[in-house]
Amino acid sequence: MADLLIALALLLVAAAATAAVAVREPARQALALSLLGLTLTLLFTVLQAPDVALSQLAVGSALTPLLVLLSVRKARRRSLDRVRAEQQAEERP
Amino acid sequence: MNGWLAAAAALMALGVAPVLWYAATGPLRRRVAAQNTGTLLVCLVLLLLARGYDRPPYTDIALVVALLGPVGTLVYARLLGPEMGDDPQQGPRATVFAVLATAAVLLPLCLAESPGRSLIKLLVIGALLVGGNIVSSKALAGARPEEADDRG
Repeated sequence: MADLLIALALLLVAAAATAAVAVREPARQALALSLLGLTLTLLFTVLQAPDVALSQLAVGSALTPLLVLLSVRKARRRSLDRVRAEQQAEERP
Repeated sequence: MNGWLAAAAALMALGVAPVLWYAATGPLRRRVAAQNTGTLLVCLVLLLLARGYDRPPYTDIALVVALLGPVGTLVYARLLGPEMGDDPQQGPRATVFAVLATAAVLLPLCLAESPGRSLIKLLVIGALLVGGNIVSSKALAGARPEEADDRG
């Protein structure tokens, strides 16, 4: 029974990691990353390491996706500002 | 052979695996909804594992998942709102499924638990899961493109 659970959790982690790599767009990747964190939490719990699971949960499923999303948002806003500045520069002369 | 562990394995294979597929494909709104359902399912699996291994402290991990899951979905709804404004709305099916799954897992767990602090903890986790899921699915349905706000 324990072996079956470990095998299942490992399979889920492999599937989530493949999904996180296969999805190309960063904002969507953040969603896959958070699910990868959750499946890793399951794996660590099944392997009887609840403290590792707790820290993985906090870092992997909450902090990393939030950081990715915030940096994507900032980068997009900066490129929008640059496009707008170029448009204004073209209109003026 | 432990019934609780068998139920956890079944929920992992039949619940978490499809959620992974839905979170990696399709329109963005459906992906966020799938991620929300994923946190709920992982929380239920953790509760079943804690019972199956007979280690009550493992319930704490499920409590943290139940707290972080809806918060994460609210963050996604806020930050990805401009992108998923045009996606088709999700029906109430996900919320109904969430409430039914929570009830189906938590009722036997509560019946097997002796009255005391651990029973109260289980009930708190159940209330957090159901309430958080309703709040986050409402936030997801209300996410619209906010052009004016996004420029600020």
